[in-house]
Amino acid sequence: MLVAASALLIGMPAAAASAASAATAGTGWIRLAHLSPNTPPVDVYLYSFGDSNAQIVLHHVAYGTVSPYEAVAAGDYSVAMRSAGAAASSQPVLSTSVTVKADHAYTVAGMGPESGLRLQVLNDQLTTPSGKSSVRVIQASLKQQTVKFTCGGQAIVPKATFASVSSYQAIPANTWTMEAIGSSSKATARYNMGAGTVHTMVVLDGANGLEIVNLVDAAGAGKPPAGGVTTGFGGTAGHGPGSPLPWLAVVGAGGLIALAGGYRLRRSSLRRQLNTGV
Amino acid sequence: MQIRRPAAIAFAAGLIAIAGGTAGLLLTHHSTPALRPVAAGVGALPAPAGPIVAPPQSAEPAPVAAPASLTIPLIGVKTNLITLGLAAGGAMQVPSTVSVAGWYTGSPRPGSIGSAIIVGHVDSAQARGVFFRLNTLKVGDDAFVKRADGTTVEFRVTKVQEYLKDDFPTQDVYGPTPDAELRLITCGGAFDPATGHYLSNIVVYATQVK
Repeated sequence: MLVAASALLIGMPAAAASAASAATAGTGWIRLAHLSPNTPPVDVYLYSFGDSNAQIVLHHVAYGTVSPYEAVAAGDYSVAMRSAGAAASSQPVLSTSVTVKADHAYTVAGMGPESGLRLQVLNDQLTTPSGKSSVRVIQASLKQQTVKFTCGGQAIVPKATFASVSSYQAIPANTWTMEAIGSSSKATARYNMGAGTVHTMVVLDGANGLEIVNLVDAAGAGKPPAGGVTTGFGGTAGHGPGSPLPWLAVVGAGGLIALAGGYRLRRSSLRRQLNTGV
Repeated sequence: MQIRRPAAIAFAAGLIAIAGGTAGLLLTHHSTPALRPVAAGVGALPAPAGPIVAPPQSAEPAPVAAPASLTIPLIGVKTNLITLGLAAGGAMQVPSTVSVAGWYTGSPRPGSIGSAIIVGHVDSAQARGVFFRLNTLKVGDDAFVKRADGTTVEFRVTKVQEYLKDDFPTQDVYGPTPDAELRLITCGGAFDPATGHYLSNIVVYATQVK
């Protein structure tokens, strides 16, 4: 009895706190990807922590597929992968947890070979230095174990091993030729990397050798305007109250004059009383 | 009997001044007027006809057509969109007339990844502007952008904020996002007759829906 009561007491503030944080926590973003070359298609489930009904279900997600970002309330989630078509109630092949912070974005990707498949949570970058683009590389080719990735002929990731994720690098905004060069295959693509954009280049095993997929992680105004905007001239603002100071001054001066006048009146009537000897 | 005439006159004049000053104060210093009508749905318009497109993919997003018009059914907004750049000094250009809104060409196109920025006037010196009722929008309300190729993008309001222009959160409003979003901006808050400008901006945040 006592134990139950104290559990209730301890539990109550915690519940109140979590309700409050849910109301003010804001939103983040999550996207789901299948980047394991020899793993058959899967169904991917996203659960809000503690809720057995999935918030998002993606069916028959094949190798190389990356979903668009979904906006979700900040908080704890779990991601589960099941074989395509498996019952939602069946034991997942893989699952992982992910904490979504407000205004942050995440990619949850199935990575590695089927024998060593894992769900990896990647922190995606939304911002890039002013006037620049940013790029990172995910090497998801099993056939070419090591890949050199170049941008405009410069190696931005000299040696990307299978199932690795590079950090982001800032590059000048431009249209660039990207190349993924393996030991026996290479892929070439041209992409416009605008100022304010953030990209992930995914290197995949295609039907005919390597392929590059360009993921846009975020985009913003290339040249953000300075400050707010001047979009009104006051025609509907109501003809404002103006300053109360002049009226306050009149009241104040009136008060002083009345005080002075009243004082003199009182003194004169006192003097009159003294003079008449009352 | 001696009557101190000047003192009596001063006393009376003082009382009159107090009464007059108080009356002036009360008559002119009425409470701040309600600037916008709050009648949501007044002059409501239908949503635009035609196909509504899906949000962009993360992977190899297709380029989208330039925006042509904006409809916000609930507050009766239906306007063509002009293009806006930056003014000298780096601030955003604004439309030269108050009856039309404009899209900032330095921001992503509506329906592509990022925050598309659309700006309109709340009023002129004489009349209402295209975004006169923008601040009556609520979370969950819809805005539609029709593009030059006839496709329509549907956005849903996620947040309505008022910011002092002196404390404008540039990064929140103009910064990058991982999904397709829209920012509708106009003026609001107190009007400063000395400068002829409002002190605040109203910013409506919206996200593309399927």
